[in-house]
Amino acid sequence: MNYFPDEVIEHVFDFVTSHKDRHSISLVCKSWFKIERYSRQNVFIGNCYAINPERLLRRFPCFKSLTLKGKPHFADFNLVPHGWGGFVQPWIEALARSRVGLEELRLKRMVVTDESLELLSRSFVNFKSLVLVSCEGFSTDGLASIASNCRHLQDLDLQENEIDDHRGQWLSCFPETYTSLVTLNFACLEGETNLVALERLVARSPNLRSLKLNRAVPLDALARLMACAPQIVDLGVGSYEDEQDSESCLKLQAAIRKCTSLRSLSGFLEAAPHCLSAFHPVCHNLTSLNLSYAAEIHGSHLIKLIEHCKKLQRLWILDSIGDKGLEVVASTCKELQELRVFPTDLQGGGNTAVTEDGLVAISAGCPKLHSILYFCQQMTNAALITVAKNCPNFIRFRLCILEPHKPDHVTSQPLDEGFGAIVQACKNLKRLSVSGLLTDQVFLYIGMYATELEMLSIAFAGDTDKGMLYVLNGCKKMRKLEIRDSPFGDAALLADVNKYETMRSLWMSSCEVTLGGCKRLARKAPWLNVEIINENDNNRMEENGYEGRQKVDKLYLYRTVVGTRVDAPPFVWIL
Amino acid sequence: MENSNSYSPYSSSSVDSTKPSPSESSVNLSLSLTFPSTSSQRETSQDWPPIKPRLRDTLKSLRLRQRGYNTALFVKVYMEGVPIGRKLDLSTFSGYKSLLENLSHMFDTSVISGGTRDRKHHVLTYQDKDGDWMMVGDIPWDMFLETVRRLKITRPERC
Repeated sequence: MNYFPDEVIEHVFDFVTSHKDRHSISLVCKSWFKIERYSRQNVFIGNCYAINPERLLRRFPCFKSLTLKGKPHFADFNLVPHGWGGFVQPWIEALARSRVGLEELRLKRMVVTDESLELLSRSFVNFKSLVLVSCEGFSTDGLASIASNCRHLQDLDLQENEIDDHRGQWLSCFPETYTSLVTLNFACLEGETNLVALERLVARSPNLRSLKLNRAVPLDALARLMACAPQIVDLGVGSYEDEQDSESCLKLQAAIRKCTSLRSLSGFLEAAPHCLSAFHPVCHNLTSLNLSYAAEIHGSHLIKLIEHCKKLQRLWILDSIGDKGLEVVASTCKELQELRVFPTDLQGGGNTAVTEDGLVAISAGCPKLHSILYFCQQMTNAALITVAKNCPNFIRFRLCILEPHKPDHVTSQPLDEGFGAIVQACKNLKRLSVSGLLTDQVFLYIGMYATELEMLSIAFAGDTDKGMLYVLNGCKKMRKLEIRDSPFGDAALLADVNKYETMRSLWMSSCEVTLGGCKRLARKAPWLNVEIINENDNNRMEENGYEGRQKVDKLYLYRTVVGTRVDAPPFVWIL
Repeated sequence: MENSNSYSPYSSSSVDSTKPSPSESSVNLSLSLTFPSTSSQRETSQDWPPIKPRLRDTLKSLRLRQRGYNTALFVKVYMEGVPIGRKLDLSTFSGYKSLLENLSHMFDTSVISGGTRDRKHHVLTYQDKDGDWMMVGDIPWDMFLETVRRLKITRPERC
């Protein structure tokens, strides 16, 4: 079958980089399977419990980059108790024992220990890139190991992790001879930072492109850092609390003007309101702006900044910008592709910072918009229908109305028709989150129209099992389904057990599924791990005579080829 | 938590402002029963709305700063001769005047600070961070909040 030698085919495969495509070519024939597995550079494992390190190494002996994800998505919102799992240690141990020349490790929602980081730093000579997102379990001592031992490190990117800050000297652990730093993000560290070590590190890093500081880096230090690194592309400002027109402020403004490559701005973790004006000179080049932590900056200052950002493609902002502010975004940012508007008032009731009007304005003004996450107090079907008409190109549409079960605030109707319009118009929709008052009808629409949908998040929605069934039967490409506080039960769960083999995972919490139903599912589908997470008292579930009918608090099931995991804590019961 | 109400018709709820304000309770009532139950934190749930912990913490501390206090400041309050004490959140008072008024209600007696040593009035004293018992009212209110550890309402002769 092959008219070319393996090396030629391998060379062709080098141009195929997406995981899905690599998977497809591996299925063509035995020969291609073999060539593909030996040439695979990047491995992506969406659920660390779907497979184990030994099988990974057997299939792909030569990879350089590994991406691993642990806890389910709802762990981000405190729904998964501490200690559930997602430990990276066994993976690093197995890789260290093998001959894999690991260069990049990307972890999301995993438990990482200092021991793991130490082992990682010592085991892979060419290790270049460490990206940790929403991980926990380690301290700055672990970072010190990475800094000390990884001679060729380029990226140390810590995003939203829970790190125990020992206020140590991890930054000074980078050797004086070390000059290859490209990305340094430590914005999530809460403790003090050794500013001298940081400045020296930045000064000897000519390739530094991305620098994101924590709140312990004050204004004068920022000015000095930017003066040493005018080549910077991506900047996360730590603290910016200083008098307007102070000497530090003026030095910073001078330094900023020299940063002609700056394209991305974030941080402002502690920010005085006037500080944004220092960045006006670089706004016209910005493509990405993340002000979602700048809680103290008033909407008017945000608007003044955005008025200069004509090339913005990505904007993450708080709802303090208001509908008026979103109208400014709509008229200014014609290149906008992704928008996230986060809430500032968590309790609801009162503050109507952004409404359906802001969303409609954005949809009308930004023709390239394809991803949105929008928190608001109120919505209407009419607005959603208009948005669907304006923006049929949505790939990700996530709407979170803060008050559960809230109907269309004008007609008091459920929002079924609005979301129905979205899924009908947006033929490429891959991710959807629904909210507000919703009946089974919205799920009928989703099952019927959302043919490309891969991830669906449901909260406080639906009336009967039919709702969930519409989705399971209709959405052929569904990979991740997460449901909370919705009245779906055993009938929906058990209707098509084989469906779950086509999906990565299903999460159901505070729904109507019973222990009996889950047990039946586990019996029918031995290739699934069916986990019951019961923080209160696991044993009570067994003793109760009516256990079959007892409702399960949290259910998490996922397909796996390696059976029941052995590291589950006592409050997780794997059926 | 000690909760004896034998003192007065003015129960602790009249001075305890940790209960949600009327507008907040009416919002809570209108929500569905399946709304996530609040954790030990008053008012807010830890899992709704769906935002990441870092943002949740940032917004919480912002809200507290906007309301003008950093944290609740509960201290024990004893009436001399009464073994069971009360607990009081000092951060809810604007100054000495409101503190004394509330204590007078709480203990159903007249409580004053310093000044005239009248047999009719009880005198409010406090233990500071050095462990010394002092007369309430001598130092500015803000300074008092930083140094107070507990309160005692003493019989007039003692001072």
